[in-house]
Amino acid sequence: MNERCLARILVVLPMYGGSLPVGRYCAKALAGLGHLVETFEAPDFYGAFTAIQNLRVTAERMDYLEHAFLQTVSQALLAKVETFEPDMVLAMAQAPLTRQALKRLRRDGVATAMWFVEDHQVFTYWQAFAPYYDFFAVIQKEPFVSRLHGLGVENVLYLPMAADPDIHRPLDLTPAERRLYGSDLSFVGAGYPNRRMAFRELFEFDLKIWGSDWDGEVVLAPRIQFGGRRVSTEESVKVFGATTINLNLHSGLDPAALVPAGDFVNPRTFELAMCGAFQLVSGRELLPELFAPDEMAVFTDMPGLKEQAAHYLARPDERRAMAGRARTRALSDHTYAARMRSLLDFVADKRPGFGKTARREAGMTDLPEGLRGELSGLLGELSLPGDAGFADVVTAVRSRQGQLTELETALLFLDEWRKQYGGR
Amino acid sequence: MKRVLVVQLARLGDLIQTKRLLLSVALPDPGGAIPEVHLLTDASLVSLARRLFPGVVCHGLCAHGPAAPGGADDPAALSRVFANRTVFAELSGLGFTRVYLLNHSGLARAVSTLFPPETVRGHFQINGQPQKDPWPALAFRFAAMRREAGINLADFWAAFAPRRVPPGVVNPPAAPKGGGLGVVLAGREARRSLPPEVMAPLAAVAASRHAAKRLVLLGLASQASAAREFIRRLPPAAGKNVADLVGKTDMAGLMREIAALDELFTPDTGAMHLAAHLGTPVTAFFLSSAWCHETGPYGEGHTVWQAVTPCAPCLESAPCAQGMACLTPFADPAMIRLAAGSGKAVLPAGLVGFRTETDALGVVCRPFAGEDSTEPARTAFRAFVAEHLGIGRGGAASAQALGQRLYLETDWMLDRFSRFGGNPQEMETT
Repeated sequence: MNERCLARILVVLPMYGGSLPVGRYCAKALAGLGHLVETFEAPDFYGAFTAIQNLRVTAERMDYLEHAFLQTVSQALLAKVETFEPDMVLAMAQAPLTRQALKRLRRDGVATAMWFVEDHQVFTYWQAFAPYYDFFAVIQKEPFVSRLHGLGVENVLYLPMAADPDIHRPLDLTPAERRLYGSDLSFVGAGYPNRRMAFRELFEFDLKIWGSDWDGEVVLAPRIQFGGRRVSTEESVKVFGATTINLNLHSGLDPAALVPAGDFVNPRTFELAMCGAFQLVSGRELLPELFAPDEMAVFTDMPGLKEQAAHYLARPDERRAMAGRARTRALSDHTYAARMRSLLDFVADKRPGFGKTARREAGMTDLPEGLRGELSGLLGELSLPGDAGFADVVTAVRSRQGQLTELETALLFLDEWRKQYGGR
Repeated sequence: MKRVLVVQLARLGDLIQTKRLLLSVALPDPGGAIPEVHLLTDASLVSLARRLFPGVVCHGLCAHGPAAPGGADDPAALSRVFANRTVFAELSGLGFTRVYLLNHSGLARAVSTLFPPETVRGHFQINGQPQKDPWPALAFRFAAMRREAGINLADFWAAFAPRRVPPGVVNPPAAPKGGGLGVVLAGREARRSLPPEVMAPLAAVAASRHAAKRLVLLGLASQASAAREFIRRLPPAAGKNVADLVGKTDMAGLMREIAALDELFTPDTGAMHLAAHLGTPVTAFFLSSAWCHETGPYGEGHTVWQAVTPCAPCLESAPCAQGMACLTPFADPAMIRLAAGSGKAVLPAGLVGFRTETDALGVVCRPFAGEDSTEPARTAFRAFVAEHLGIGRGGAASAQALGQRLYLETDWMLDRFSRFGGNPQEMETT
């Protein structure tokens, strides 16, 4: 972007699923870039959805109720848009934005963007929704990009996954934590068929498996930690830090292809790199442009995996050096902040005037000088740039939770006073 | 010490109508402790509030609008409003256990953010979301049935409190004080007032009836020309006794004058509520959007002449499309005879005379002249509200029909009570 902009962005989270944490990372990164961000908390609606699914009613009724439910959620989202007046609505895959709502947003001139952090060949519903988004960011290149163009989606952006350096970082673990979370080899993730088959070949190693969806796995059962429950992000980071070699085997549905071929690079690759944790990652077509060969050890088949595992277990200095380089690269190129900057640059290039709407042009120049001075301290606290407008400050204050300070209350009061008596 | 704050940011009349709530929240709690009651109001009304409500700690905020049009963008005005933060800082440090926000306005909701969410009642904002409690939410539905509804604003606000003082102790019973007849020419809304040529003959005969030696004109400086017109319209005998104090009294002076009167002739104004507060008999003229069952004088023994034309009460914000039909009956010669105390005069159509009394719910206007076709509906309404507030036993079919009309699915099904610890019974004014 040539000119710095302060955009209002509404991040629409999905109700559940893998895109959910990514959406939260995006919201945090956008706020960190100085934009005014709110999230639409679709997960809060998930309880109502599961209640509908447990009704035991006819299929027709269920179908009707699910549509009605989605309409309600979509209406809630549109109400949020109406109040927050975002410059852009950023949705993650499976975000509850109906086609009708997307049409409405397009008609109202609100830019809509989707970051589709899924495999387009596995999750094929994008075909029905992509044309309704103004911007469509993807983690794969060809043939996906051409297919999108073929559907009439003009603004397609390749935007690989990333990691959050505040979350994914090296930790000082206690000896007890090292014992609990540590092992020679570990894997954190879901029990896809290829992983189940692959890890059965690693019995010679001290391997721990963390994560859910390993139900019915008898052979690997002794290696599965915490009874196969889901591990939190915080626990994952501890595992990454305590493990000598983190296995990063991309998922595949074909149990015959233990190390699946594929193009996109999974989020775990970036997270491990950001943690400064050593990883053995399965090869991907798009990996070389993201990490250099001396930043990450790559395997393409099971013999290669075992060979490299043995090699690096015996060479702590090589591991440390490689992991250090990977972390440097991740910090430099692969943060969510960098991704969001790329996305906004792309949007601003395609949409002149993005993030420079009238309410900000008004700025705070019409406020008394003393008052502006008072506000400058608050701007930093609210992560807003110095040229943020009064309306932006008020929006940021309004989104604060719970009891407010007298300064914040005074701002809200002043805003209401201007609205009541100034016809704003 | 337990401290309670009442936030009333509206005008003079509303401030006075907050009295029953202020008295109610000052009642000892079940443990016998007497709360310290605070009031937050516009700074211009603080000194009056202190006179009105001795024992209440009053705080002033720059809340009212600028005097001049466009003044909301005046840097000096904005600075004054922003300077409210010092008041907010003071209030924030007082640790109120309960805060009542009475105004359905963004200003009141902004003030609410200063306090822990669990302590606020009425109209508030939590985590950026404007909300209101179940009682004001229900009362908003009354607005769609104003002709049949009938709860005085003072009683509505009093019902924000868990327990209420009896309505009879709020204001002294109306009794003449010997100081003559007072006349208030107009309130803030000219449409709700009688023009001088209608008011003058009514006031003249009333003064004569009282054998009043003084006829005191009260009002704002902006009403000086109306006062001159009023005097010009008086019979010469009455004109000699006029004391024209329009624009010449401050709040304290206004209070002193009204306290000494035999009677106050007035539209629905702050001065009317002041008279009721002081026990000075009121004869009020309600027309246009004014509806005595909502904002009539509080206490026993006041008189209201209420326009009941089919269009009344109308919306204050909407222009009149009826040629001010509600004003016509006040100008009828029969009205002058009634004001003179004639028992034989027939009340003009479109007008009902009410006297104020009190019942378990609060103040109530009872018809003594004219035909009040809405009284049965109002009686049912008051029974419904009384049962809702836990005052009456209910059970009447007409009140139950109101329940079916006024209670919504959202009241019944959605969580309104977790803020109150999850138990509806512990909530004030369910």
